[in-house]
Amino acid sequence: MITLEHYIRDHALSDPYKIALIEGKKRVSYGDLWARIKSTSLWLSQRAERGDRIIVSATKQIGFVYTYCGAHLAGLVCVPVDSETNATRLARIIDVAKPRLVIGELHHGDGIEVVPFSAIEEGESEQVKMPDENDIADLLFTTGTTGLPKGVMLTHSNQMAAAHSINEFIGNTADDVELLALPVSHSFGLGRLRCTLIAGGTIVLLGSFASMKKFYAALEEYHVTGFGMVPAGWAYIKKMSGERIAQYADRLRYIEIGSAFMSEDDKRLLMRLLPTTHICMHYGLTEASRSAFISFHDEEDHLTSAGKASPGVDISIIDETGNMLPAGIDGEVCVKGAHVCVGYWEQSQDEFLLDCCGDYFKTGDWGYLDKDDYLHLVSRKKEIINVGGKKVSPLEVEEALNEIDGIKESIAVAMHDDVLGEVVKAFVVCSTPLDFEAIKRLLSQRLENYKVPVAIETIDELPRTSSGKLQRLALADK
Amino acid sequence: MDILDKIIEIVAETCEVDRSEVNGDSTVGDFPAWDSMGHLSILNNVEEAFDISFEPEEMMELEDVNDIVKAVEEKLA
Repeated sequence: MITLEHYIRDHALSDPYKIALIEGKKRVSYGDLWARIKSTSLWLSQRAERGDRIIVSATKQIGFVYTYCGAHLAGLVCVPVDSETNATRLARIIDVAKPRLVIGELHHGDGIEVVPFSAIEEGESEQVKMPDENDIADLLFTTGTTGLPKGVMLTHSNQMAAAHSINEFIGNTADDVELLALPVSHSFGLGRLRCTLIAGGTIVLLGSFASMKKFYAALEEYHVTGFGMVPAGWAYIKKMSGERIAQYADRLRYIEIGSAFMSEDDKRLLMRLLPTTHICMHYGLTEASRSAFISFHDEEDHLTSAGKASPGVDISIIDETGNMLPAGIDGEVCVKGAHVCVGYWEQSQDEFLLDCCGDYFKTGDWGYLDKDDYLHLVSRKKEIINVGGKKVSPLEVEEALNEIDGIKESIAVAMHDDVLGEVVKAFVVCSTPLDFEAIKRLLSQRLENYKVPVAIETIDELPRTSSGKLQRLALADK
Repeated sequence: MDILDKIIEIVAETCEVDRSEVNGDSTVGDFPAWDSMGHLSILNNVEEAFDISFEPEEMMELEDVNDIVKAVEEKLA
């Protein structure tokens, strides 16, 4: 099968009354889902040409799913964007993607014409052209450390390759009821949506872990069998509800955990509370989603690793001159497989090849493979700060800092945090003494809360390489 | 300043909204910044402001401003 939309169509034919989506009191069957996807596709195709981009944004609405799949059916390229995206990043994404339409909800979309989901009319549409597996399905914008955010081009076949390897590893079936508390506009949330719908299961859209009462009520009410979370999500569940999750041990068949640092203690606690749940953690990035997997209970002796290459994926460690390195030696983690993106939007293939080494995509992460082929991550070459699963570009924070009077230059780095994993810390070179609390208030007008540095320190000069490049990692607290 | 006012002030500051937008029924998810991270910040700031600490079992019950006010009152009683 070649695209998510093919699967939904087939489930609609074979089991039309099976519930596909639940959001609050709303329930959508596969039959209804397919009808709405078709009518949304018709509406979109009257307003955009095949190959046009559309921005789709939401945290959890069912309308997002109609529009996302409807756009694919209309031959459009989806650009999923977080509804909280700040104005600067939004402007850059719009500048690069040049979308024909912006649909959904944006909280910082002043001056942008945003079509709400409710404006998309229902209609009859019988004639549909199914997407081609080699069509670009989505452009996912990364958090760039250098220059503009890059639009990662993923074809339907890239996404299906990733989805099949996840489903093979986790073993999703049509009997699964997944609680989706991750935002649907993000790669991880979208991936879970795709995997569950391919298997013909049911998705319960919760949108966030913020309300633990709603989270547990949903586990109870919908007989949830699995969910996805980032390590910070587990830290939150643990802090807010102690060991209560153990009450659902018999019902929870699987949990997929996103790639970010998770301590071995946290992994073992989760294993103790959920002794029979298939707890899987992936390693991946936007360009090569879910490249490795580990199953906590099955691979207990390897919990400090990021797991082994996913089914159909090859991982090699390569040095800076392109040589493959033997087990135990550190180098750049490189991945090969049908899931790897086909390039970056509006970037030449030659430029994309700079990020590749032969058939392998260079992840920018540093690590080694042990003698049993388990991947161990040592450090990141890229300097993204991961605040509880939300990616922060140091460049964006530094740009905002540098515009403040009295700050000559700055550097933003990751600082360890027990709950969020990492938070932002800034070092600033000042021309006059500054009130850091006032700086934080100024920054909070320009940046999302989680991007505002928790700590700010003054420094006489910023560390640089001999060629003048900022050395952020020299100041990072790792 | 009474407990309700202080908690409204903490919520407004953490969520970057005007105090007038916050009332006793304001709850997690009401403002974009009142997500899980915002909720933790609010509870941390409340613990600091009143020099108290919440147990996990108590924290789960604290979802709106009134819940938090009630819990603080019980701790201080």
